[in-house]
Amino acid sequence: MKTDLEKMEFVIPSDFKYLGAVDAAVQDLAREMSCAQRWINDFSSALIEACTNAIEHGNKYSKDKRVRVEVSLDGKQIIARVRDEGTGFDFAPYLSEDSPLDAMSERGRGIKIMKAFTDALDYTLDTNGGLCLKLMKICAIEVDETADGKT
Amino acid sequence: MKISQKELYGAVVLELHGKLTGGPEAETFRNIFKSLLDDGKKNIIIDLKKVDWINSTGLGILISGYTSVRKAGGDLVLCHVGDRIDSILYVTKLNLLFQSFDSREEAAEYFKQQPA
Repeated sequence: MKTDLEKMEFVIPSDFKYLGAVDAAVQDLAREMSCAQRWINDFSSALIEACTNAIEHGNKYSKDKRVRVEVSLDGKQIIARVRDEGTGFDFAPYLSEDSPLDAMSERGRGIKIMKAFTDALDYTLDTNGGLCLKLMKICAIEVDETADGKT
Repeated sequence: MKISQKELYGAVVLELHGKLTGGPEAETFRNIFKSLLDDGKKNIIIDLKKVDWINSTGLGILISGYTSVRKAGGDLVLCHVGDRIDSILYVTKLNLLFQSFDSREEAAEYFKQQPA
C-alpha cells in the first residue's frame, strides 16, 4: 500500500444525484492506494450517508446551499469531513443512540450505517452554524488471492 | 434511477438501474406501487442486479413499498442483491425483513408456492 498522504476536497449541490460523484471519487482514491475493495465500499457507503444527512437534514435540499467534502488517506487511515450549510442541531443523541429501530420505519438508518462502516464517527458545529461530520476508518489493504504466499 | 417493469409467472418484476437514493424518486415509486396495487398486482420482485448502491433514503423507498404491498395482502422480495447492498441490509437488519433470492426465477417460484 502507498503511504503518501492523498487529499481531495470537493463541493456538491444539495441534490442526491451528486452522491454518485462522491462514491466515484472515493473509489478512485482508495483504489490508487491499493485498499481492499470491500473496505472501500464500506467507507464509501458511510460517506454517502454523511452526505445524505447533510443534504436532507442540514441543507434541507436547498439549491442555494452546498455540501463540502474533504477526504484524506495516508495508507493507515482514511478521514472524511462533511460540512453542510444548515443551521445546525444537536447530533449527540443520534450518535449515542443504540436502541433498535422499528423494523418498518422508513427512516433513521443513516447513522447506523455510518457507525457500522467506520472506526470512529464524530461531529462538530461550525461557527457559521452548519454541522461537520468526521468519519475515520483504519485501512485494510488489498490481498492478492492469486499469490502463493511466497515472498 | 430508471425502472423497467416486467411480469414473470404472475409476479411483477421491477428492474432498477443506477443508484437508489430516495428524494424525488420516492414519489415515483409510490406512484408505481399504487398503480400496481390498484391493478391487483401485489406480488413484487425488486431486481437489484443493476443497482450500484443504496443509501438510507433508498432503503426507505423499499420499506415503503414493502409496507404497501403487505397491507394489500401481497409480498415484496429482492433478487440479485450484490455484496455492497447486502452489507447495508445486514448492518441495518433489513435482511431479516426482505427475502432475497439469487434470481428472478427463484423469486417467482417463491410466489408460486404461496397459498392463493
